[in-house]
Amino acid sequence: MTLLTVEDLRITFATEAGPVEAVRGISFSVGRERLGIVGESGSGKTMTGRAVLRLIRPPGRIEARRMLFDGIDLARIPEREMRALRGRRIAMVMQDPKFSLNPVMRIGAQLTEGLRLRDGMSARAARAKALEALEAVQIRDPERVLDAYPHELSGGMGQRVMIAMMLIPEPDLLIADEPTSALDVTVQAEVLRILDALVRERGMGLMFISHDLNLVARFCDRVLVMYRGRIVEEVAADRLSQATHPYTRGLLDCLPKIGGARGPLPTLARDAAWAE
Amino acid sequence: MPLIEIDNLHVTFDAKGRAVHAVRGVSLGVEPRESFGLVGESGSGKSTILRAICGLAPVTGGEIRIGGKPLPRRRDRAFAARVQMVFQDPYASLHPRHTVDRTLGEPLAIHRLARGSERGRRIVQALADVGLDAAFRFRFPHQLSGGQRQRVAIARALMLEPEILLLDEPTSALDASVQAEALNLLARLKAERGLTFLMVSHDLAVIDHMCDRLTVMKEGRAVESLTHAQLAGRDMQADYTRELFAATTERIAAAE
Repeated sequence: MTLLTVEDLRITFATEAGPVEAVRGISFSVGRERLGIVGESGSGKTMTGRAVLRLIRPPGRIEARRMLFDGIDLARIPEREMRALRGRRIAMVMQDPKFSLNPVMRIGAQLTEGLRLRDGMSARAARAKALEALEAVQIRDPERVLDAYPHELSGGMGQRVMIAMMLIPEPDLLIADEPTSALDVTVQAEVLRILDALVRERGMGLMFISHDLNLVARFCDRVLVMYRGRIVEEVAADRLSQATHPYTRGLLDCLPKIGGARGPLPTLARDAAWAE
Repeated sequence: MPLIEIDNLHVTFDAKGRAVHAVRGVSLGVEPRESFGLVGESGSGKSTILRAICGLAPVTGGEIRIGGKPLPRRRDRAFAARVQMVFQDPYASLHPRHTVDRTLGEPLAIHRLARGSERGRRIVQALADVGLDAAFRFRFPHQLSGGQRQRVAIARALMLEPEILLLDEPTSALDASVQAEALNLLARLKAERGLTFLMVSHDLAVIDHMCDRLTVMKEGRAVESLTHAQLAGRDMQADYTRELFAATTERIAAAE
Protein backbone atom coordinates (compact mmCIF):
# COMPACT_ATOMS: atom_id res chain seq x y z
CA MET A 1 0.00 0.00 0.00
CA THR A 2 1.34 3.38 -0.94
CA LEU A 3 1.78 5.88 1.88
CA LEU A 4 3.34 8.72 0.00
CA THR A 5 3.41 9.62 -3.69
CA VAL A 6 5.66 12.42 -4.83
CA GLU A 7 5.39 13.74 -8.37
CA ASP A 8 7.79 16.12 -10.05
CA LEU A 9 9.40 17.53 -6.91
CA ARG A 10 11.68 20.52 -7.40
CA ILE A 11 13.65 22.41 -4.78
CA THR A 12 15.11 25.72 -5.87
CA PHE A 13 17.39 28.07 -3.97
CA ALA A 14 17.56 31.71 -4.97
CA THR A 15 21.20 32.74 -4.87
CA GLU A 16 23.09 35.85 -5.98
CA ALA A 17 24.11 33.99 -9.10
CA GLY A 18 20.50 33.09 -9.94
CA PRO A 19 18.30 30.12 -8.97
CA VAL A 20 20.05 26.83 -8.14
CA GLU A 21 17.99 23.65 -8.40
CA ALA A 22 18.99 21.22 -5.65
CA VAL A 23 16.30 18.70 -6.64
CA ARG A 24 15.16 18.67 -10.24
CA GLY A 25 11.83 17.06 -10.93
CA ILE A 26 11.88 13.71 -9.15
CA SER A 27 8.96 11.33 -8.67
CA PHE A 28 8.76 8.37 -6.32
CA SER A 29 6.46 6.61 -3.90
CA VAL A 30 6.89 5.01 -0.50
CA GLY A 31 4.81 2.14 0.84
CA ARG A 32 5.03 0.30 4.15
CA GLU A 33 8.59 -0.64 3.29
CA ARG A 34 12.20 0.40 3.71
CA LEU A 35 13.04 2.74 0.86
CA GLY A 36 16.70 3.67 0.60
CA ILE A 37 17.85 6.94 -0.96
CA VAL A 38 21.56 7.00 -1.72
CA GLY A 39 23.92 9.47 -3.33
CA GLU A 40 26.90 11.60 -2.51
CA SER A 41 26.76 14.79 -0.51
CA GLY A 42 25.11 17.44 -2.64
CA SER A 43 23.01 14.92 -4.56
CA GLY A 44 19.78 16.25 -3.03
CA LYS A 45 18.89 13.23 -0.89
CA THR A 46 18.63 15.15 2.39
CA MET A 47 16.69 17.95 0.67
CA THR A 48 14.24 15.37 -0.66
CA GLY A 49 13.64 14.04 2.86
CA ARG A 50 13.18 17.52 4.29
CA ALA A 51 10.86 18.55 1.46
CA VAL A 52 8.35 15.87 2.44
CA LEU A 53 7.99 17.64 5.79
CA ARG A 54 8.24 21.05 4.11
CA LEU A 55 11.26 21.83 6.22
CA ILE A 56 13.12 23.90 3.62
CA ARG A 57 13.66 27.47 4.71
CA PRO A 58 13.68 30.46 2.37
CA PRO A 59 15.49 31.25 0.09
CA GLY A 60 14.76 27.61 -0.69
CA ARG A 61 11.46 26.85 -2.42
CA ILE A 62 9.59 23.57 -2.82
CA GLU A 63 7.44 22.88 -5.86
CA ALA A 64 5.71 19.65 -6.71
CA ARG A 65 2.84 18.61 -8.92
CA ARG A 66 1.65 16.47 -6.02
CA MET A 67 2.92 15.14 -2.69
CA LEU A 68 0.09 12.87 -1.65
CA PHE A 69 0.19 11.47 1.86
CA ASP A 70 -2.94 9.56 2.90
CA GLY A 71 -5.09 11.62 0.54
CA ILE A 72 -3.60 14.92 1.70
CA ASP A 73 -1.57 16.93 -0.79
CA LEU A 74 1.40 18.10 1.27
CA ALA A 75 2.32 20.54 -1.46
CA ARG A 76 -0.96 22.44 -1.08
CA ILE A 77 -2.13 22.39 2.53
CA PRO A 78 -1.60 25.47 4.72
CA GLU A 79 1.25 25.56 7.21
CA ARG A 80 -1.13 25.06 10.14
CA GLU A 81 -2.30 21.69 8.79
CA MET A 82 1.26 20.75 7.94
CA ARG A 83 2.27 21.38 11.54
CA ALA A 84 -0.39 18.96 12.72
CA LEU A 85 1.15 16.22 10.56
CA ARG A 86 4.77 16.81 11.52
CA GLY A 87 6.00 14.49 14.22
CA ARG A 88 2.59 12.96 14.70
CA ARG A 89 2.17 11.22 11.34
CA ILE A 90 5.43 11.93 9.54
CA ALA A 91 8.59 12.12 11.62
CA MET A 92 12.23 12.64 10.89
CA VAL A 93 15.41 11.42 12.58
CA MET A 94 18.39 13.66 11.89
CA GLN A 95 21.92 12.64 11.27
CA ASP A 96 23.91 13.72 14.26
CA PRO A 97 22.67 13.55 17.86
CA LYS A 98 25.37 16.04 18.84
CA PHE A 99 23.67 18.75 16.82
CA SER A 100 20.05 17.71 16.89
CA LEU A 101 19.37 17.42 20.61
CA ASN A 102 19.14 20.54 22.73
CA PRO A 103 22.44 20.60 24.64
CA VAL A 104 21.09 22.46 27.68
CA MET A 105 17.94 20.43 28.21
CA ARG A 106 17.74 17.10 30.00
CA ILE A 107 16.76 14.13 27.81
CA GLY A 108 13.57 13.59 29.79
CA ALA A 109 12.41 17.18 29.24
CA GLN A 110 13.07 16.88 25.50
CA LEU A 111 11.29 13.56 25.22
CA THR A 112 8.20 14.71 27.07
CA GLU A 113 7.96 18.25 25.69
CA GLY A 114 5.75 17.22 22.79
CA LEU A 115 3.57 14.96 24.92
CA ARG A 116 2.90 17.67 27.47
CA LEU A 117 2.42 20.60 25.13
CA ARG A 118 0.80 18.91 22.16
CA ASP A 119 -1.11 16.10 23.83
CA GLY A 120 -1.67 17.85 27.17
CA MET A 121 -0.37 14.90 29.18
CA SER A 122 0.51 15.17 32.85
CA ALA A 123 4.19 15.17 33.79
CA ARG A 124 3.88 11.75 35.34
CA ALA A 125 2.10 10.14 32.37
CA ALA A 126 4.53 11.75 29.91
CA ARG A 127 7.49 10.44 31.88
CA ALA A 128 6.05 6.93 31.90
CA LYS A 129 5.54 7.10 28.15
CA ALA A 130 9.11 8.39 27.63
CA LEU A 131 10.50 5.52 29.72
CA GLU A 132 8.56 3.09 27.60
CA ALA A 133 9.94 4.64 24.41
CA LEU A 134 13.52 4.41 25.69
CA GLU A 135 12.97 0.78 26.56
CA ALA A 136 11.64 0.18 23.05
CA VAL A 137 14.97 1.32 21.60
CA GLN A 138 16.78 -0.94 24.06
CA ILE A 139 18.34 1.63 26.30
CA ARG A 140 19.49 0.01 29.50
CA ASP A 141 18.91 2.11 32.58
CA PRO A 142 16.34 4.47 30.99
CA GLU A 143 15.78 6.28 34.32
CA ARG A 144 19.36 7.51 34.30
CA VAL A 145 19.13 8.55 30.63
CA LEU A 146 16.00 10.62 31.27
CA ASP A 147 17.91 12.72 33.81
CA ALA A 148 21.05 13.03 31.67
CA TYR A 149 22.11 15.86 29.38
CA PRO A 150 22.96 14.99 25.76
CA HIS A 151 26.74 15.38 26.29
CA GLU A 152 26.59 12.67 28.94
CA LEU A 153 25.47 10.10 26.37
CA SER A 154 27.55 8.29 23.77
CA GLY A 155 26.75 8.77 20.08
CA GLY A 156 24.86 5.50 19.91
CA MET A 157 22.73 6.34 22.94
CA GLY A 158 22.03 9.83 21.60
CA GLN A 159 20.90 8.39 18.29
CA ARG A 160 18.60 5.93 20.04
CA VAL A 161 17.15 8.76 22.11
CA MET A 162 16.32 10.63 18.91
CA ILE A 163 14.68 7.57 17.44
CA ALA A 164 12.70 7.07 20.64
CA MET A 165 11.59 10.69 20.50
CA MET A 166 10.28 10.27 16.96
CA LEU A 167 8.51 7.04 17.78
CA ILE A 168 6.46 8.24 20.73
CA PRO A 169 3.60 9.55 18.50
CA GLU A 170 3.77 6.36 16.37
CA PRO A 171 4.18 8.01 12.97
CA ASP A 172 3.07 6.31 9.75
CA LEU A 173 6.15 7.48 7.90
CA LEU A 174 9.63 7.92 9.31
CA ILE A 175 12.30 9.81 7.40
CA ALA A 176 15.72 8.82 8.70
CA ASP A 177 18.58 10.96 7.44
CA GLU A 178 21.87 9.09 7.89
CA PRO A 179 20.60 7.76 11.22
CA THR A 180 23.60 5.50 11.72
CA SER A 181 26.46 7.34 10.04
CA ALA A 182 27.79 8.71 13.31
CA LEU A 183 27.74 5.25 14.87
CA ASP A 184 30.07 2.26 15.02
CA VAL A 185 29.29 -0.77 12.94
CA THR A 186 28.23 -2.76 15.99
CA VAL A 187 25.89 -0.05 17.37
CA GLN A 188 24.73 0.61 13.83
CA ALA A 189 23.44 -2.95 13.51
CA GLU A 190 21.46 -2.50 16.72
CA VAL A 191 19.81 0.76 15.58
CA LEU A 192 18.95 -0.83 12.24
CA ARG A 193 17.35 -3.77 13.98
CA ILE A 194 15.09 -1.35 15.90
CA LEU A 195 14.06 0.47 12.71
CA ASP A 196 13.51 -2.80 10.95
CA ALA A 197 11.23 -4.07 13.71
CA LEU A 198 9.14 -0.90 13.46
CA VAL A 199 8.57 -1.40 9.76
CA ARG A 200 7.64 -5.04 10.19
CA GLU A 201 5.62 -4.84 13.40
CA ARG A 202 3.92 -1.46 13.12
CA GLY A 203 3.73 -1.34 9.33
CA MET A 204 5.52 1.97 9.31
CA GLY A 205 6.99 3.36 6.08
CA LEU A 206 10.67 4.25 6.21
CA MET A 207 12.65 6.57 3.98
CA PHE A 208 16.26 5.73 4.74
CA ILE A 209 18.71 8.34 3.48
CA SER A 210 22.35 7.29 3.40
CA HIS A 211 25.59 7.61 1.50
CA ASP A 212 26.56 4.06 2.44
CA LEU A 213 25.68 1.74 -0.44
CA ASN A 214 26.59 -1.50 1.30
CA LEU A 215 24.41 -0.61 4.24
CA VAL A 216 21.42 0.30 2.08
CA ALA A 217 21.82 -2.85 0.01
CA ARG A 218 21.64 -4.98 3.16
CA PHE A 219 18.94 -3.09 4.96
CA CYS A 220 16.40 -1.69 2.50
CA ASP A 221 13.81 -3.18 0.17
CA ARG A 222 14.16 -0.72 -2.66
CA VAL A 223 16.80 1.89 -3.45
CA LEU A 224 16.72 5.20 -5.30
CA VAL A 225 20.11 6.45 -6.47
CA MET A 226 20.36 10.22 -6.70
CA TYR A 227 22.88 12.28 -8.62
CA ARG A 228 22.80 16.07 -8.81
CA GLY A 229 19.14 16.39 -7.94
CA ARG A 230 17.86 13.59 -10.16
CA ILE A 231 17.00 9.95 -9.55
CA VAL A 232 19.33 8.15 -11.94
CA GLU A 233 18.38 4.62 -11.00
CA GLU A 234 15.81 2.69 -9.02
CA VAL A 235 16.71 -0.85 -8.09
CA ALA A 236 15.66 -3.62 -5.71
CA ALA A 237 18.09 -3.45 -2.78
CA ASP A 238 19.22 -7.05 -3.09
CA ARG A 239 20.11 -6.38 -6.71
CA LEU A 240 22.11 -3.22 -6.00
CA SER A 241 25.38 -5.04 -6.67
CA GLN A 242 24.08 -5.66 -10.20
CA ALA A 243 23.05 -2.03 -10.73
CA THR A 244 23.56 -0.89 -14.28
CA HIS A 245 23.83 2.88 -14.16
CA PRO A 246 27.47 3.97 -14.52
CA TYR A 247 27.14 6.33 -11.54
CA THR A 248 25.89 3.55 -9.23
CA ARG A 249 28.57 1.23 -10.59
CA GLY A 250 31.22 3.89 -10.01
CA LEU A 251 30.14 4.38 -6.39
CA LEU A 252 30.21 0.64 -5.76
CA ASP A 253 33.60 0.17 -7.38
CA CYS A 254 35.41 2.83 -5.37
CA LEU A 255 34.77 1.09 -2.04
CA PRO A 256 37.71 -0.89 -0.68
CA LYS A 257 36.95 -4.58 -0.11
CA ILE A 258 38.51 -6.98 2.36
CA GLY A 259 40.92 -9.13 0.40
CA GLY A 260 40.64 -6.81 -2.59
CA ALA A 261 43.55 -5.59 -4.73
CA ARG A 262 45.98 -3.21 -2.98
CA GLY A 263 46.53 -0.86 -5.94
CA PRO A 264 44.90 2.56 -6.26
CA LEU A 265 41.13 2.41 -5.83
CA PRO A 266 39.10 3.26 -8.90
CA THR A 267 37.74 6.79 -8.61
CA LEU A 268 34.49 8.05 -9.98
CA ALA A 269 34.63 9.55 -13.46
CA ARG A 270 31.57 11.77 -13.62
CA ASP A 271 29.64 12.23 -16.82
CA ALA A 272 27.65 15.43 -17.33
CA ALA A 273 25.03 13.44 -19.22
CA TRP A 274 23.95 11.62 -16.00
CA ALA A 275 22.47 14.83 -14.67
CA GLU A 276 20.27 15.41 -17.74
CA MET B 1 64.15 -2.10 15.06
CA PRO B 2 60.61 -0.77 15.11
CA LEU B 3 60.26 2.97 14.54
CA ILE B 4 57.32 3.26 16.92
CA GLU B 5 57.34 1.05 20.02
CA ILE B 6 54.55 1.01 22.52
CA ASP B 7 55.11 -1.05 25.68
CA ASN B 8 52.32 -1.94 28.04
CA LEU B 9 50.62 1.45 27.62
CA HIS B 10 47.97 2.53 30.11
CA VAL B 11 45.84 5.66 29.79
CA THR B 12 43.48 6.69 32.56
CA PHE B 13 41.18 9.68 32.30
CA ASP B 14 39.65 11.41 35.26
CA ALA B 15 35.94 11.90 34.56
CA LYS B 16 34.38 13.89 37.41
CA GLY B 17 36.46 12.08 39.98
CA ARG B 18 35.79 8.67 38.44
CA ALA B 19 38.79 6.99 36.80
CA VAL B 20 38.16 5.80 33.24
CA HIS B 21 40.77 3.28 32.18
CA ALA B 22 40.73 3.85 28.40
CA VAL B 23 43.84 1.92 27.38
CA ARG B 24 44.78 -1.14 29.43
CA GLY B 25 48.25 -2.46 28.72
CA VAL B 26 48.59 -2.30 24.94
CA SER B 27 51.92 -3.10 23.28
CA LEU B 28 52.77 -2.82 19.62
CA GLY B 29 55.65 -2.06 17.28
CA VAL B 30 55.53 -0.35 13.90
CA GLU B 31 58.45 -0.87 11.53
CA PRO B 32 59.83 1.99 9.41
CA ARG B 33 57.72 2.53 6.27
CA GLU B 34 55.08 0.16 7.52
CA SER B 35 51.34 0.85 7.61
CA PHE B 36 49.87 -0.32 10.87
CA GLY B 37 46.13 -0.33 11.56
CA LEU B 38 44.13 -0.08 14.78
CA VAL B 39 40.52 -1.27 14.51
CA GLY B 40 37.68 -1.38 16.98
CA GLU B 41 34.42 0.26 17.97
CA SER B 42 34.34 3.71 19.53
CA GLY B 43 35.40 3.66 23.11
CA SER B 44 37.85 0.83 22.41
CA GLY B 45 40.80 3.15 23.02
CA LYS B 46 42.21 3.15 19.50
CA SER B 47 42.18 6.92 19.02
CA THR B 48 43.43 7.38 22.57
CA ILE B 49 46.62 5.54 21.62
CA LEU B 50 47.29 8.06 18.84
CA ARG B 51 46.56 10.93 21.21
CA ALA B 52 48.88 9.41 23.84
CA ILE B 53 51.71 9.37 21.30
CA CYS B 54 51.12 13.09 20.70
CA GLY B 55 50.99 13.84 24.41
CA LEU B 56 47.29 14.62 24.30
CA ALA B 57 46.16 11.86 26.69
CA PRO B 58 47.16 11.16 30.30
CA VAL B 59 49.54 8.20 30.15
CA THR B 60 49.49 6.39 33.49
CA GLY B 61 51.75 3.48 32.71
CA GLY B 62 54.07 1.96 30.14
CA GLU B 63 56.32 3.61 27.63
CA ILE B 64 56.23 4.98 24.08
CA ARG B 65 59.48 5.11 22.11
CA ILE B 66 60.10 6.64 18.69
CA GLY B 67 63.31 5.49 16.99
CA GLY B 68 64.37 3.72 20.18
CA LYS B 69 64.18 6.81 22.41
CA PRO B 70 61.50 7.39 25.02
CA LEU B 71 59.45 10.48 24.23
CA PRO B 72 60.16 13.62 26.24
CA ARG B 73 57.51 14.43 28.82
CA ARG B 74 56.52 17.53 26.89
CA ARG B 75 56.45 16.90 23.17
CA ASP B 76 58.92 19.36 21.64
CA ARG B 77 59.45 20.83 18.21
CA ALA B 78 61.72 17.96 17.20
CA PHE B 79 58.82 15.60 17.91
CA ALA B 80 56.41 17.69 15.81
CA ALA B 81 58.89 17.65 12.94
CA ARG B 82 58.94 13.87 13.09
CA VAL B 83 55.38 12.88 14.00
CA GLN B 84 52.18 14.51 12.74
CA MET B 85 48.54 13.65 13.10
CA VAL B 86 45.55 13.89 10.75
CA PHE B 87 42.25 14.05 12.58
CA GLN B 88 38.93 12.47 11.75
CA ASP B 89 36.70 15.41 11.10
CA PRO B 90 37.98 17.96 8.62
CA TYR B 91 35.08 20.18 9.61
CA ALA B 92 36.35 20.43 13.17
CA SER B 93 40.12 20.18 12.79
CA LEU B 94 40.80 23.26 10.64
CA HIS B 95 40.55 26.70 12.22
CA PRO B 96 37.34 28.17 10.75
CA ARG B 97 38.70 31.71 10.62
CA HIS B 98 42.14 30.95 9.23
CA THR B 99 42.71 30.79 5.49
CA VAL B 100 44.37 27.72 4.03
CA ASP B 101 47.47 29.91 3.63
CA ARG B 102 47.58 30.69 7.34
CA THR B 103 46.88 27.09 8.38
CA LEU B 104 49.69 25.77 6.20
CA GLY B 105 52.05 28.65 7.06
CA GLU B 106 51.77 28.20 10.82
CA PRO B 107 54.13 25.20 11.15
CA LEU B 108 56.68 27.02 8.95
CA ALA B 109 56.52 30.05 11.23
CA ILE B 110 56.73 28.07 14.48
CA HIS B 111 59.72 26.11 13.24
CA ARG B 112 61.25 29.21 11.58
CA LEU B 113 61.63 27.33 8.34
CA ALA B 114 60.57 29.78 5.69
CA ARG B 115 59.42 33.37 5.24
CA GLY B 116 58.40 35.62 2.39
CA SER B 117 58.50 34.14 -1.07
CA GLU B 118 59.98 30.83 0.13
CA ARG B 119 57.01 30.47 2.48
CA GLY B 120 54.61 31.07 -0.41
CA ARG B 121 56.44 28.62 -2.63
CA ARG B 122 56.26 25.86 -0.02
CA ILE B 123 52.56 26.43 0.58
CA VAL B 124 51.73 26.26 -3.12
CA GLN B 125 53.89 23.13 -3.43
CA ALA B 126 52.14 21.52 -0.43
CA LEU B 127 48.77 22.19 -2.05
CA ALA B 128 49.99 20.73 -5.35
CA ASP B 129 51.24 17.61 -3.51
CA VAL B 130 47.75 16.87 -2.24
CA GLY B 131 46.17 17.63 -5.61
CA LEU B 132 44.82 21.10 -4.88
CA ASP B 133 45.21 24.10 -7.16
CA ALA B 134 47.03 27.22 -5.92
CA ALA B 135 43.67 29.02 -6.13
CA PHE B 136 42.68 27.31 -2.84
CA ARG B 137 45.44 29.13 -0.94
CA PHE B 138 43.36 32.08 0.24
CA ARG B 139 40.11 30.26 0.91
CA PHE B 140 38.53 29.61 4.27
CA PRO B 141 37.55 26.07 5.35
CA HIS B 142 33.84 26.78 4.88
CA GLN B 143 34.54 27.48 1.20
CA LEU B 144 35.89 23.94 0.73
CA SER B 145 34.14 20.58 0.39
CA GLY B 146 34.80 17.82 2.93
CA GLY B 147 37.28 16.09 0.63
CA GLN B 148 39.14 19.33 -0.06
CA ARG B 149 39.32 20.06 3.67
CA GLN B 150 40.79 16.66 4.40
CA ARG B 151 43.40 17.31 1.68
CA VAL B 152 44.29 20.58 3.41
CA ALA B 153 44.54 18.73 6.75
CA ILE B 154 46.89 16.20 5.14
CA ALA B 155 48.93 19.02 3.54
CA ARG B 156 49.22 20.70 6.94
CA ALA B 157 50.48 17.50 8.54
CA LEU B 158 53.11 17.17 5.80
CA MET B 159 54.42 20.78 5.99
CA LEU B 160 57.27 19.76 8.33
CA GLU B 161 58.10 16.68 6.26
CA PRO B 162 57.52 14.19 9.11
CA GLU B 163 58.46 10.51 8.95
CA ILE B 164 55.38 9.34 10.80
CA LEU B 165 51.74 10.13 10.15
CA LEU B 166 49.16 9.24 12.76
CA LEU B 167 45.82 8.96 10.95
CA ASP B 168 42.67 9.04 13.05
CA GLU B 169 39.76 7.86 10.87
CA PRO B 170 41.01 10.05 8.01
CA THR B 171 38.21 9.16 5.61
CA SER B 172 35.21 8.24 7.73
CA ALA B 173 33.59 11.67 7.25
CA LEU B 174 33.85 11.41 3.46
CA ASP B 175 31.65 10.05 0.66
CA ALA B 176 32.69 6.77 -0.96
CA SER B 177 34.08 8.42 -4.07
CA VAL B 178 35.95 11.06 -2.05
CA GLN B 179 37.20 8.40 0.36
CA ALA B 180 38.74 6.52 -2.57
CA GLU B 181 40.55 9.68 -3.69
CA ALA B 182 41.83 10.42 -0.17
CA LEU B 183 43.04 6.83 0.35
CA ASN B 184 44.80 6.91 -3.02
CA LEU B 185 46.42 10.22 -2.06
CA LEU B 186 47.69 8.79 1.24
CA ALA B 187 49.04 5.67 -0.48
CA ARG B 188 50.84 7.80 -3.08
CA LEU B 189 52.37 10.16 -0.50
CA LYS B 190 53.48 7.19 1.57
CA ALA B 191 55.26 5.60 -1.40
CA GLU B 192 56.84 8.89 -2.54
CA ARG B 193 58.10 9.97 0.88
CA GLY B 194 58.68 6.65 2.62
CA LEU B 195 56.23 7.53 5.39
CA THR B 196 55.26 5.31 8.28
CA PHE B 197 51.52 5.19 9.02
CA LEU B 198 49.71 4.36 12.22
CA MET B 199 46.08 4.45 11.21
CA VAL B 200 42.86 4.15 13.17
CA SER B 201 39.58 3.14 11.57
CA HIS B 202 36.37 1.37 12.47
CA ASP B 203 36.17 0.17 8.86
CA LEU B 204 38.03 -3.11 8.42
CA ALA B 205 37.87 -2.77 4.64
CA VAL B 206 39.77 0.54 4.77
CA ILE B 207 42.39 -0.96 7.12
CA ASP B 208 42.65 -4.02 4.90
CA HIS B 209 43.25 -1.80 1.89
CA MET B 210 45.87 0.40 3.54
CA CYS B 211 47.70 -1.59 6.19
CA ASP B 212 50.33 -4.34 6.37
CA ARG B 213 49.45 -5.35 9.91
CA LEU B 214 46.68 -4.48 12.34
CA THR B 215 45.60 -4.81 15.93
CA VAL B 216 41.96 -5.26 16.90
CA MET B 217 41.00 -3.44 20.06
CA LYS B 218 38.13 -3.81 22.48
CA GLU B 219 37.52 -2.04 25.77
CA GLY B 220 41.05 -0.71 25.96
CA ARG B 221 42.78 -4.00 25.27
CA ALA B 222 44.39 -5.51 22.20
CA VAL B 223 42.21 -8.47 21.25
CA GLU B 224 44.25 -9.80 18.38
CA SER B 225 46.97 -8.82 15.92
CA LEU B 226 46.82 -9.91 12.31
CA THR B 227 48.83 -9.51 9.15
CA HIS B 228 47.15 -8.27 6.01
CA ALA B 229 47.26 -11.78 4.57
CA GLN B 230 45.58 -13.26 7.64
CA LEU B 231 42.77 -10.70 7.47
CA ALA B 232 42.22 -11.21 3.76
CA GLY B 233 42.20 -14.99 4.31
CA ARG B 234 39.80 -14.68 7.28
CA ASP B 235 42.44 -16.38 9.37
CA MET B 236 41.50 -14.95 12.77
CA GLN B 237 41.39 -16.46 16.26
CA ALA B 238 39.29 -14.12 18.40
CA ASP B 239 35.50 -14.23 18.23
CA TYR B 240 35.37 -10.47 18.48
CA THR B 241 37.48 -10.06 15.34
CA ARG B 242 35.13 -12.42 13.55
CA GLU B 243 32.15 -10.41 14.73
CA LEU B 244 33.72 -7.19 13.49
CA PHE B 245 34.57 -8.85 10.20
CA ALA B 246 30.98 -10.02 9.82
CA ALA B 247 29.65 -6.56 10.74
CA THR B 248 31.80 -5.04 8.00
CA THR B 249 30.98 -7.50 5.29
CA GLU B 250 27.37 -8.15 6.19
CA ARG B 251 26.55 -4.90 7.99
CA ILE B 252 23.32 -6.33 9.27
CA ALA B 253 22.10 -9.84 9.68
CA ALA B 254 18.55 -8.78 10.48
CA ALA B 255 17.91 -7.74 6.89
CA GLU B 256 16.69 -11.16 5.84
